Amino acid sequence: MTLQTDDRSRFDAIWREHRHQVLAYCLRRAASADAEDACAETFLVVWRRIDEIPPAPKTLPCLYGIARKSLSNQTRAFYRRGRLHTKLSNLGMAPAADPMLVVVQRADDKVVTDAVRRLKPVDREIVMLDVWEGLSRAEIADVMGMTRAAVDQRIHRAYQKLSRALVPVLETSLLNSPPAAEEGGT
Amino acid sequence: MTHEQIREMVRRVNPIPDPTMLEIVDVPVLTTPLERRTEMQIDDRPGTEVQADPNRRRGPLVGIAAAAVILIAGLVFFLTRDDTPVAEPAPNATQIPADDMDTPLAPGAYFVDTDGDEASSLRGTFVIEGSGWTALPSGARKTFGEDYVSLLVVQVDQVWSPACESPAPDPAAAGSTATELANQIAGNGFTVREALAPVSAFGHDGHHLVTEVPAGCAHESHMVWGGPVFAGRYYQADGQMVEYWFVDVGDTPIMVEANWFPGSSPEEDVAELRAVLDTLVLTP
Repeated sequence: MTLQTDDRSRFDAIWREHRHQVLAYCLRRAASADAEDACAETFLVVWRRIDEIPPAPKTLPCLYGIARKSLSNQTRAFYRRGRLHTKLSNLGMAPAADPMLVVVQRADDKVVTDAVRRLKPVDREIVMLDVWEGLSRAEIADVMGMTRAAVDQRIHRAYQKLSRALVPVLETSLLNSPPAAEEGGT
Repeated sequence: MTHEQIREMVRRVNPIPDPTMLEIVDVPVLTTPLERRTEMQIDDRPGTEVQADPNRRRGPLVGIAAAAVILIAGLVFFLTRDDTPVAEPAPNATQIPADDMDTPLAPGAYFVDTDGDEASSLRGTFVIEGSGWTALPSGARKTFGEDYVSLLVVQVDQVWSPACESPAPDPAAAGSTATELANQIAGNGFTVREALAPVSAFGHDGHHLVTEVPAGCAHESHMVWGGPVFAGRYYQADGQMVEYWFVDVGDTPIMVEANWFPGSSPEEDVAELRAVLDTLVLTP
């Protein structure tokens, strides 16, 4: 399969601009090998259907939509992993002055991740698109193939469920973590 | 707890807060030889489970089991029924899933699980005869342009009162009885068109109330009530009519909410809404 020069340029531009975001999207949702496969599959679809990929700002939500489908149909990857493991193992855990604070934060984080996990799959995906991918609600609606009103409703419901689960974490955090230490630990 | 606080906590557990930290070997795409390594396992991130639905393969068995249960339940019901005239739910109803929204509903019998908990049997069953209805979490609606008629059959666990105040007040825990809940909703500051009155509806005794959304109160920031299935309810237009029934089903207060837009909701849609409400039965 070959692409015309313009298409090739456009594909290269999409690849350069969004490859990290798409891989991050996949890695947030699947084990590494599967995530890489899904990311590769996503760009394979882009390669094949470059004419159907919308221009910015709808490009990235479109890629997320493809990646979301690819995650359930992983194929072999085309990416080498490099030093990803080292990079990931340090993410979100900058050195903290107080080791106890790290322990507290990790315990709290587990409560948060457990609460997110307990959301219904669609609600969880919407929350992740909202917070982790930073999409607008209109963009989330595009990715999920639902109406903006449905997204609003699901986000509100998900946050209410999370709120009920996370209030103890917030209270504990406020009691145990002075502001300066909290900043330093994250 | 505000949404922003929640977002911050979820943001903090983002396993990849900065995608640019990912190192991708920049080789010609789609021409790279496959090279897989398996030494890295990242399996402790939120939401990473991508699993086949374990129930999918059991579908036929579940269906047969469900059919058997229904048959046995029907037989037991037939053998043990008495002749007292009581409201009975329509048979062979299809469940509207708690997270469903906008799925078209063909004419037929449906039920909603008012708390979204499959362990509890409390449900509301109704029959839709008209066309153009779609699912809501714990209810159904029929749209007309920007407006709609709808019914919701819900449990309520929090109430905002006054409901039209900026900034919005913190929600209060909903009353534990239909009477308490009815008084909370009736006192939320919306315009009362028909005052609270005793009623017998949907197979139970309770209270009836009709309110109108006052000017300036139809906005997402003016939540009125929320529950385990329908998390937060706000209204869409000044003058929107909202009719409530509050009944205790066993020990559980249930609220039925119907609403329409005077002057814009087609009369036939409102009539269909009434017809659906006439078939509604709440069973513990």
